[in-house]
Amino acid sequence: MRKACGFFSSLFSGLFGTREMRILILGLDGAGKTTILYRLQVGEVVTTIPTIGFNVETVTYRNLKFQVWDLGGQTSIRPYWRCYYSNTDAVIYVVDSSDRDRMGISKSELVAMLEEEELKKAILVVFANKQDMDQAMTPTEVANALGLPALKDRKWQIFKTSATKGTGLDEAMEWLVDSLKSRQ
Amino acid sequence: MYTLLSGLYKYMFQKDEYCVLILGLDNAGKTTFLEQTKTKFSKNYKGMNLSKITTTVGLNIGTIDVGKARLMFWDLGGQEELQSLWDKYYAESHGVIYVIDSTDEERLSESKEAFGECHTATLHSVMWMYLCLKQPLKDRFTNCLSVPDIKTAFSDSAPKIGKRDCLVQPCTALTGDGVNEGIEWMVKCVVRNIHRPPRQKDIT
Repeated sequence: MRKACGFFSSLFSGLFGTREMRILILGLDGAGKTTILYRLQVGEVVTTIPTIGFNVETVTYRNLKFQVWDLGGQTSIRPYWRCYYSNTDAVIYVVDSSDRDRMGISKSELVAMLEEEELKKAILVVFANKQDMDQAMTPTEVANALGLPALKDRKWQIFKTSATKGTGLDEAMEWLVDSLKSRQ
Repeated sequence: MYTLLSGLYKYMFQKDEYCVLILGLDNAGKTTFLEQTKTKFSKNYKGMNLSKITTTVGLNIGTIDVGKARLMFWDLGGQEELQSLWDKYYAESHGVIYVIDSTDEERLSESKEAFGECHTATLHSVMWMYLCLKQPLKDRFTNCLSVPDIKTAFSDSAPKIGKRDCLVQPCTALTGDGVNEGIEWMVKCVVRNIHRPPRQKDIT
């Protein structure tokens, strides 16, 4: 009976696409994760304070519902990211492109995260954020600094974004929706 | 005992893994070709809508099984600034598919340049295939180059090819013409190539 229930519910969700996608927004502190989350949800720039804990919002984009988790990025609370890894469909990894000094830390956090078994199937999208800054690194530089070319068995894509200006977010989400749909 | 049996099972049924790079200038049709290949060679795969494919700025992967071989494709972004990422993948690849847009005569020399660079960098035991994409769209694009045209244009890079096996395959990714022939050739070659054995996975 339960099996039948599961079948019908999966058929139902398959027909109407009601399954929520679970997406994590991760990155170092001050990268712009919360700004991106609210830019996606309400389309405006909100004033944010450093996140201690998490923000979670439901975002609908082209008939696909996302449950987006924005986790705090400070050193002391990064170990808690792993509590949220299970059932994640995609990870948005946000990098402050103008922060050259901390690229190394960002890389090691990313590498440690991708080694997790629970994220094996997750799609990786990197946002090279703060592209409006003068000294911002190009997406290629960011990709190299993060060691992305070393990833051989995972689909990834990097986008240049500016959360405050709102550029680049749409195409990134567009790509994410398409690849999530084709994966099902 | 269990380890022994499972090891034996894996030994018998494990597929040989080969890695194939898909390179070429941006907008040549690499991702479309990959999607078409995945649709053709794997059952139950519902591909992306081909018209919705956007520029790749990163890596797309695809795995297909042909007989006892498993091909893993790495489709990399082709924009000029992204070409610096290509060399990170050469060391592990068994074959390269170089995609050329046959309708774009203007950028043919640019394509040749990018091609020359990666050609010298790759190992000599790597298999090459050139895909002349967008072929039968001739009716729509009058300035489409034929396969001999492209061969002539690339003829001066012939010394770089050396002893490597290569094939020039006309193809249209949108309709899928020529995809099967190309992939079958690639599979045959990487399997036959004794200089580059398949990627080993530990049997444990």
